[in-house]
Amino acid sequence: MMPHVDAAYNLAWWLVRNRADAEDAVQEAFLRAYKFFGSFRGDDGRAWLLAIVRNACYALRGQAPGAGVNEEFDEQVHLPGMVAEGSNGPFCRNPEDIAIQHADRELVNRAIEELPVVFREVLVMREIEELSYKEIARIVDVPLGTVMSRLARGRRLLHEAIVARMKKESPK
Amino acid sequence: MNCQDLQRLVHAYLDYELDLMTSLDLEAHLNECSACRARHAEMRALRDLEARQLRFHAAPAPLKARIARNMRAACGNDDARRWRAWRAATAVSVLALAALLAWVVLPRTLPGPHQVVAQSQEKMVYHIANSEDVATALRNVANLLEISPDARIVVVANNQGVDFLLRGARDRDGTPYEPAVSRLKVRGVDFRVCNNTLARRRIDSSQVIPEAKLVPSGIAEISRLQTREGYAYMKL
Repeated sequence: MMPHVDAAYNLAWWLVRNRADAEDAVQEAFLRAYKFFGSFRGDDGRAWLLAIVRNACYALRGQAPGAGVNEEFDEQVHLPGMVAEGSNGPFCRNPEDIAIQHADRELVNRAIEELPVVFREVLVMREIEELSYKEIARIVDVPLGTVMSRLARGRRLLHEAIVARMKKESPK
Repeated sequence: MNCQDLQRLVHAYLDYELDLMTSLDLEAHLNECSACRARHAEMRALRDLEARQLRFHAAPAPLKARIARNMRAACGNDDARRWRAWRAATAVSVLALAALLAWVVLPRTLPGPHQVVAQSQEKMVYHIANSEDVATALRNVANLLEISPDARIVVVANNQGVDFLLRGARDRDGTPYEPAVSRLKVRGVDFRVCNNTLARRRIDSSQVIPEAKLVPSGIAEISRLQTREGYAYMKL
């Protein structure tokens, strides 16, 4: 159990973005986990605990998990930098002349912190916890396809945000 | 597959979540569309950046102590047995499985499942006998180290599993294995190659990368680590 504390805290931190709330959420989650362990039937304790941590984080904010995203609207939104419908498709914009691989750690982490939480959480679960789409779908309680589209959209947003920040920091 | 499909699927592709046929379709489209190729490269760079720069926020020590205290207190009540069973069941699936194996296979004098989980230092031997298992194994090892940085981990490779420890070996995307192996090696993971396999497959030992060490027999090594050194066994 104790090995999961770091994973739990990391997810909580990325959801609430400050130490005090993250600590509260993790403590609360472990208490709940203890209280409900009798109902646990799965074989993946980490994913189960992370789901509880996630709920605790949303509860702390007085939100329902997944609040703030409108699935129907998801794919309709055109992101900045993407060309409008009817042209050659979303990829055929001018290539960015900024090489994002040179973005520094601070900038990247700040850009992720500022992503809407529904995208931030799937990114963190995938990139840091290396959970599979299936596990993420279970934790977030959405269909697999939604995990896929949120990751896709989250990464597109993140890319835009990093490029924008890099442009701001080093104006040509 | 068109540009729209690719946009939808490229992340799942980079995450190894697409099935073989869809991956092939996607690669075919990448070959013929330079715009999508550029986008793919861009997203790959983003993935690398995330992997390199994303911060892991480890739990502060006082929080850990507080939770450990709470849990110990909770374990003192009537539910203690159930709680310990749950704790064992919910440890990393890898650990739980290995602990179960240890419990079944090893003599009674060795620790039972929950004690193994609670040990401050886990000892784990990963057995790789297939080249397809390598990516999963390396990911598991890295995950385990993330959770338990002090874990002692030995990777023993035999049969087709030795290929990734040979010079110039690459994964299916053409990424060389050696840097990943080096990184794990630096973090204390030992890689051991079965000399019986090399002999049988007529592979010269000079082909093995310097990060890996030769052992006379992979199976004997695995058995020794389990019985003499208390390692838990993990086969993928």
